[in-house]
Amino acid sequence: MERNSHLRTTIGEPLLNTVGASRVLMVGAGGIGCELLKNLVMSGFQDIVIIDLDTIDLSNLNRQFLFQKQHIKKSKAKIARESALEFNPNVRIEARHQNIKEEEFSVEWFKGFDLVMNALDNLDARRHVNKMCLAAKVPLIESGTAGYLGQVTVISGDLTECFDCLSKETPKTFPVCTIRSTPSTPIHCIVWAKSYLFGLLFGNAEDDDDEVMVKEDNADDETAKELETLKAESQALKTILAQAGQEGFTELVFNKVFGTDIERLRKMEDMWKTRAAPTPLNYNQIMDITGHLSQQLNVAPESTTLKDQRVWTLPETVTVFGDSLVRLTERLKELRESDPEASISFDKDDAETLDFVTATANLRAHVYGIEEKSRFDVKAMAGNIIPAIATTNAIVAGLMVMLAFKILNKRIADCKTTYLVYDSRGDRDQLLISEKLAKPNPRCYICRNAYIGLKIDTTTSTVQDFVDIMEDGGMTDVEIQENGRVIHDPDFDDNLGKTLAELQLTNGKFVDLVDVDDRKVIVYIIHRDSAALDGEKFILEGDVHKALVQQDKLRKTLEQLKAADAAEEALEAARKAASAPAHKHVEDSDIVMLEEEETRKRKRDGSLEILENGPLKKSSLTEPAHPSELGGGSQQPHAVSNDGVGDGTSAEQAVDVDEVVMVDGEEVDVVILE
Amino acid sequence: MSGICRSRLAEERKQWRKDHPYGFYARPEKKADSTLDLMTWQVGIPGKPNTPWENGVYKLSMTFPEDYPSKPPKCKFVPPLFHPNVYPSGTVCLSILNEEEGWKPAITIKQILLGIQDLLNDPNPESPAQSEAYVMFKKDKVSYEKRVRQQAKENAP
Repeated sequence: MERNSHLRTTIGEPLLNTVGASRVLMVGAGGIGCELLKNLVMSGFQDIVIIDLDTIDLSNLNRQFLFQKQHIKKSKAKIARESALEFNPNVRIEARHQNIKEEEFSVEWFKGFDLVMNALDNLDARRHVNKMCLAAKVPLIESGTAGYLGQVTVISGDLTECFDCLSKETPKTFPVCTIRSTPSTPIHCIVWAKSYLFGLLFGNAEDDDDEVMVKEDNADDETAKELETLKAESQALKTILAQAGQEGFTELVFNKVFGTDIERLRKMEDMWKTRAAPTPLNYNQIMDITGHLSQQLNVAPESTTLKDQRVWTLPETVTVFGDSLVRLTERLKELRESDPEASISFDKDDAETLDFVTATANLRAHVYGIEEKSRFDVKAMAGNIIPAIATTNAIVAGLMVMLAFKILNKRIADCKTTYLVYDSRGDRDQLLISEKLAKPNPRCYICRNAYIGLKIDTTTSTVQDFVDIMEDGGMTDVEIQENGRVIHDPDFDDNLGKTLAELQLTNGKFVDLVDVDDRKVIVYIIHRDSAALDGEKFILEGDVHKALVQQDKLRKTLEQLKAADAAEEALEAARKAASAPAHKHVEDSDIVMLEEEETRKRKRDGSLEILENGPLKKSSLTEPAHPSELGGGSQQPHAVSNDGVGDGTSAEQAVDVDEVVMVDGEEVDVVILE
Repeated sequence: MSGICRSRLAEERKQWRKDHPYGFYARPEKKADSTLDLMTWQVGIPGKPNTPWENGVYKLSMTFPEDYPSKPPKCKFVPPLFHPNVYPSGTVCLSILNEEEGWKPAITIKQILLGIQDLLNDPNPESPAQSEAYVMFKKDKVSYEKRVRQQAKENAP
């Protein structure tokens, strides 16, 4: 029987032909990628390019089923291709073991595809592909999973929201003050153990950053006695380090870090006015109790849970602390015999380093009265582990192919965003929830720009030439930036005489232009030697004037939004002032106003996000509006209620459950898993 | 590359060029390739009149992280400043610059600088960052003020 016969019956001859004639790009050949490639070669796709810069790791094999043990350390893209060709040799697959951000993958290269599918694991690459697809005007299917959660959506020019229309939650960092002096959650203690203490003991501690405080020439001895600061602690610890390997070293370090340092901190009385003061620990006291206890009980507490998954007792923690400290200092000593600069860095899969971080984090948690964590939990938190589940990836990859069919069938407007949810929400008992594609955010910095290609000889054309081209197109007082570099603006004209190439404005670069009226155009440079330009000085791949007209429209929309915001703001403020005059914030009134602004913006339900190893967050903040946009600095202090009165918009959103695909020419509702 | 970060900083620069508070300056640092680096700004904050900080313009460097404005910039006095809420490295400890406390993506560079200017003569004793200034501020206001005036002289523009 012919391979595609069932497929032909299912989606129909015309669509099958369209699919077979299409050229698709798949970015990423990992968790989702393996499932997706399998789907693609089994559903009529004939021309596929896969790109992945990564190599296969042992930990991939449980779910990335195109890879086997003998493939470890080999290119994911290449092995995925080989494996997929084994079960369908009739497909043309090109595998690139490269970074999608490389210059050769230009806007023009992206234009060579009918469809791009993201199976990525990080924000940075997703943003890049998002932008390339916008510039190349190629539809993009974006996907992601995290544990049991997943989502699939379509991004296409003016039709839909783009990846950057909503701000994404980025990995948290912590302020020094919190980590060094006033931790309040387990993660604070873990970060302290992993990034501060570990580095100080086993790294080449650099005093450069304030993570490690610099010793200061403090003249006043009396005050110094009364209040030691953190930098002195670090300094003192380094002195102790000199005694590594000697008798009593463990005790010395312990009493320093969890004893004297804490006692000193306690003396900063102002710090503990609003929070509980920490309680210092003493090594000998704990060890005495340990001896005492073990005599009494003689055996360790019987437990049905693995030692890894339960929280250690205090004596256990102290024992692990001592044990790992000694082993790590010995290891470091050995390393330094051959390389005096050697250091050990934290690795979640290195048992000794994980032991040390677990023990020190928990001891610190104990000192501050914070919840302690099991070694298993610490591993996940310190190593930023996001669980990946094969089934989730498979479901998501399946949804992607259905969207691909729809897009190739010229029915992109009918596409939906689909979320895979873990537990049913409210009275709905389905796992898949779909909603209409959102419209672009008019304030988006990425997709609300005009993208125009400029073919030009970058070695002979100057910034002045470039400015002239754009001003001839209708822009005035143009400002030029590229990747965070200001090339030119009305207050900075040093570079007008330089060639584009001299300023690294070379082939493939995206150059941001803004004019005095805030009209934004992004020009991507396509280098062509003068000879290849058919006698022209440059060729614009798009109409600047048209783009500006569109930008003017957008400006108008934004102004209306601004006005509406301001009105709503005023109304809200008035309402709050009338109803809840209870708490008056004494902070800067500007900032108080901003807080409200944010509360009010929490419109879209922030429920889901996600992505394999890197969330695509529908975060609460719709866009980074700054108050200059809100028109004038409102100076009236607002009364703000502490609970932030809900604005009633967060609970439900229009959800639309039917996911429809064409089956043999007929629309059929797709299964909703229950 | 985060387009949001760059675009926002470009807007901040545009706003600042159009209008900024008297006595302040803020500009992206010049790079070796003769362009300006939007990610690092050189800033001057004047001490408020009628305070011991007056007549000084305190130099600060602002470094913007890739995920600005989700995350706040790092503000560091160069050279480090004698002030209870300034770390020995020069880094400013201020709630609106703290991701976990007061930072909001909507806060502008202008607001940050005005905030730091306020902090100069109105330190927050609940989050001391250096012992020297903190202790002097708590125990010996007279010497503290003297030292601040001296520092203002050293930082006269």
